[in-house]
Amino acid sequence: MSDEIKVNKTMDLKGLACPQPVIKVNKGIKEIEVGQVLEAITTDPGSLADFPAWARTSGNEILKTEQESGLIRFLIKRVK
Amino acid sequence: MEEEKRKKLLDLFRSKLDRPMQYYLDVCTRCGICKDACFAYASVPKTEYTPVWRAEVVRKIYKRYFKWTGKIFPFLGKNTEIDDEGMKQLYEAAYTCTGCRRCMVYCPFGIDTQAIQSVAKLLLIGNESAPEELSMLADASIEKGKSLDLYKESFIQGIKNLEKEVIAKWKGESDQIIPLDVEGANILYVALAGAHSIVPAASILNAAKENWTLSFFEAVNFGAFVGDPRKTQLIAKRIIDEAIRLKVKEVTICECGTAYRVMKHLVGEQPFEVTHIAEVMARYLKEDRIKVERDRIKGIITYHDPCQSGRNGGVIEEPRYVLQQLTSKFVEMSPNREYNLCCGGGGGLVALENEDFREETGKSKVNQIKETGAAILATGCENCNTQLKFLGERYHLGIEVEFLTNLVANSLLLE
Repeated sequence: MSDEIKVNKTMDLKGLACPQPVIKVNKGIKEIEVGQVLEAITTDPGSLADFPAWARTSGNEILKTEQESGLIRFLIKRVK
Repeated sequence: MEEEKRKKLLDLFRSKLDRPMQYYLDVCTRCGICKDACFAYASVPKTEYTPVWRAEVVRKIYKRYFKWTGKIFPFLGKNTEIDDEGMKQLYEAAYTCTGCRRCMVYCPFGIDTQAIQSVAKLLLIGNESAPEELSMLADASIEKGKSLDLYKESFIQGIKNLEKEVIAKWKGESDQIIPLDVEGANILYVALAGAHSIVPAASILNAAKENWTLSFFEAVNFGAFVGDPRKTQLIAKRIIDEAIRLKVKEVTICECGTAYRVMKHLVGEQPFEVTHIAEVMARYLKEDRIKVERDRIKGIITYHDPCQSGRNGGVIEEPRYVLQQLTSKFVEMSPNREYNLCCGGGGGLVALENEDFREETGKSKVNQIKETGAAILATGCENCNTQLKFLGERYHLGIEVEFLTNLVANSLLLE
């Protein structure tokens, strides 16, 4: 899980109950500047569909999604 | 508030004024029996936490704008204007009520406080002051239904990654450990986003040799929590369409009370049966399709009836049957079944930033749990599970909060 995208904030969302991962990401993205990148790490398989759907409705952009050893990592750019 | 907006809000109010709603708003005698039924008031005896106070906030607007006395003499009596202060009161009323409907059981007139609060919630949506978290979650659910093809492949991969965990519990063999998109399956199992909602249920369904398939959609309906009838139907429709496309016989909802109640009771008749996973587990046990080792789980177990699947959904005896197969040490809370106290996390409250409120109003539930002397608190709802774990931590209860599916999956006897 390595890349060259600069991460400005990381959120550990492993093991959280529904619907906390999306709620926390929705809050966390507002704590970085437009153009900056949020890294979110979850263990919820449902987040693979939930996060992109949230990004489309909230107008943000998922730059990268990776799955490894039960962990799912999203890099999300704040667009607005 | 601008007149145009007020007019829009009044139109929204009018859209909810069917005959039952007019009855609920007209007949209350302020007897106050409902106050003692409310878990929040039982924990913190503030007037604002009584069902009648919450209903009065809506009722005073109704009187002001829809009764002739209020229209002609708005300055007489206790009327509330639709303005910024009125909207604040509506928020306070709607989002301190979990919609558990225990008050309705005790009300001599059967007044449905949750239905009354649905008016408050709809006005808050119209005023754009509904909780942003719940609206955002509802919108994301609807978006997922529209654009599933974009996310399907990565979701399938994510589900594939869970298979090892299912095998560890189930210890069986199959070509499809967590089947997806199976046309003609008996059961479409609708889970939540987390592995905890998928792995134990998959183990049980496989152990029963069920012909089943996992839904691409999450069961929870945030449209119902935020009180938006249109979004509620759109979110449910994703699952209904999937069930019809796959021609399944039964849609089984995971341990999520609101999801079960919406699909079972609030979306009209469908060409499939709707069951709660607790009903399916009870059926498998009765039919010997799965076997469990009794007392593999040690310690006294009690059960919290989720309001939406229990009192409001009718799934009451099946969880008890399941637990009695798992343990000889099952004890009831008192009161229980349809009279059980709400945990304080329902109605979307558990998703909001209100921890102090949820802690203080959870006191009555905490006392109920303590009196059982149980080591394990089982429940069949994600909201309840989250809130009960939260109360366990805040009140240092030293109790383990468990889903029914996990208890069954951990007790499976494998051939």
